Amino acid sequence: MAAEVKVGDRLQSVTHEVTNDKMVEFEKVVWDRGRNSHSDINVAKADGISRTIASGQNQMAFLHEMMERNFGDAWVYGGQISARYIHPVYAGDHITANGLVTEVAPGNDGKPRVKLQIWCENQDGRKTCAGTASAGQPSSMRNWMEARAKSRAPGVPS
Amino acid sequence: MEESEGSKAWQAIPLGDDLGSLDYVLTAQMIADYRRVVDNPDAAYPTVAARHPANLFYRKYAAVMRVPNMGHDSEYYNPPVADKRITISGRIADKYIRRGNAYIVVEATAVDEDGRLIEKSRLVGLAREVGKEAAHENIAKKWGT
Repeated sequence: MAAEVKVGDRLQSVTHEVTNDKMVEFEKVVWDRGRNSHSDINVAKADGISRTIASGQNQMAFLHEMMERNFGDAWVYGGQISARYIHPVYAGDHITANGLVTEVAPGNDGKPRVKLQIWCENQDGRKTCAGTASAGQPSSMRNWMEARAKSRAPGVPS
Repeated sequence: MEESEGSKAWQAIPLGDDLGSLDYVLTAQMIADYRRVVDNPDAAYPTVAARHPANLFYRKYAAVMRVPNMGHDSEYYNPPVADKRITISGRIADKYIRRGNAYIVVEATAVDEDGRLIEKSRLVGLAREVGKEAAHENIAKKWGT
């Protein structure tokens, strides 16, 4: 049973370096979005910015990881997030995803719902995105990871 | 003052406009690639990189409007399963002017081939008419890039 959180608790943070190669690859991993301001310096300049910037969704991925680690199934099955991108992220930046519990109150289903401030900041401590998230109380369950493991087992269809 | 009223192209996009639907198979390779790129071997939602709302929007409006991502709101229900077909459908959920800038909110809902609701996501885009302004011009001024 995962420990419940209370107002004022800080989540375990997550830090990653953003590299140019990963910024470019992020634009291709599901659908190839072609050349854009996240992957091509010439497009970035045509868009009015001096160098390529990481996609906002790249920061969203880091926020997801933080929520997955801290809340498990309580986030993956029923989590909500709202983020605004407020400062550019460049190749070489080290981005840390953070969370602070602001409220624990019954949700629509009557079960406790945890509300959080969430944000990313760079190596200089400057916020690059900010917003809110919510989930049930942390769960020790990781059903989505078990489903993945089963899908890898020989003879078991995914 | 076109900026305070939104461009003609922005005005012409109807609130509630149906963006239709499209589908794709989220392969095991796509999921593995996503997890490697974001350094998270257990990432539950590779769809973060799929940008469902943007893809639906550009399919219809790429010739007239760009919507650089200023924010994102999402609700998650069931992580996608490898090699299942995902169908996304979308609409224009909101339009507004704030501090002289025109915004468009595009909502997309993703469901897999077994009828499992994957996620609902909303892109908050800064509306930039194609050919009128660089997509990030105002953002660049604000950021000083």
